Amino acid sequence: MPGIGKYVWAAIAIAVITHLALIHAAPRLLMGVAIERLSAGGFNAWTIADRVTSASRQIVRPSPDFSYAACAFDLSDGPVIIAAAPWRQYWSLSLYSANSDNFFVIDDREAHYGAEITLVRAGKPHPEGASMVVESPSARGVALIRRLAPSTESYNAAAEVAREDVCESVSRLVG
Amino acid sequence: MLRRVLAWAMAALIGVGIGAASAWAALEFGSAGFTQSYGQWTHSRAAGSSAADPYTRAIIARDGLLALRASEALYFNLAEDENGRRLDESCIYELRGSPLAARWWSVTLYAEDNFLAENSDHAASVDASRIDPTSVWSTRVSPVRGDAPHWLSSRSAGRGFSLTLRIYNPQREFRPSAESLPTLTTISCTGRS
Repeated sequence: MPGIGKYVWAAIAIAVITHLALIHAAPRLLMGVAIERLSAGGFNAWTIADRVTSASRQIVRPSPDFSYAACAFDLSDGPVIIAAAPWRQYWSLSLYSANSDNFFVIDDREAHYGAEITLVRAGKPHPEGASMVVESPSARGVALIRRLAPSTESYNAAAEVAREDVCESVSRLVG
Repeated sequence: MLRRVLAWAMAALIGVGIGAASAWAALEFGSAGFTQSYGQWTHSRAAGSSAADPYTRAIIARDGLLALRASEALYFNLAEDENGRRLDESCIYELRGSPLAARWWSVTLYAEDNFLAENSDHAASVDASRIDPTSVWSTRVSPVRGDAPHWLSSRSAGRGFSLTLRIYNPQREFRPSAESLPTLTTISCTGRS
């Protein structure tokens, strides 16, 4: 068939563009869904997850041995203070960027008495006097605190401790 | 004119189709490159990693979204018995392990849909705080507890369920291997010879 070549080349070009676009977009799309779910109650606020049971159907392969608190952060209005209250067993605070990279993690071995960090957008000035500044590669992302709580009693205690966690824009704290 | 429009539309459609299919294949088969086997267990190095290239990042996001770094936690999965058969609710298994060089560990049972099996047994997980982690331990994996001191309930898990071993704060000397990780053995199966 004469003249079919241009259609074949167009199909190849579109295939390459589609392939690369999907590969680049996949992590952001998946994180976007997670951020959207976790920000249902608003950005820069902790959501304490219910204890994982056989009825839990939000996240695949959940661990029933942990109490989870998640905060979808947004640095559009400046730095965000993130504080994790200490817990008597294993706990960790981990931060994920919009492209899903786990760019920071701290646990109770390094922070016996809890952790407080000031999260700033990479490249932006650090607030004066902030003790621990962490740079986020993206304006939005997710902070996740895991507290080991394998029993109902320990889960309830961990959920109580989680109420002391902070995820708050500095502009709101000083405003 | 109409034939030309149709030809361009067809080219675009085929291009999008090939692009989407090849992206899916890249993630599906690329994922295997991150998987290592230790006896019955498989471990994805993608979980919790930071990526240097877009393919690796996409695989990590698909296989280990919001997972922890390897220095913090390691995740292993077991989906087949010692004979390579899919795990089945109609079978009774024994999971036996030695002390693990880690601060804490747990084994959780998931149904084929990747959620906890829909039963009210409150026995979806065993962990180092409930089992003496300093000596050889065993737990029964079955739909009914019987006289087992430790139990993972497979009731309503159907066929194709799996176990996930989580190891938190692994010590420097921890080296995953078929010998160091727990072993699953089939005790009996209803309806099988």
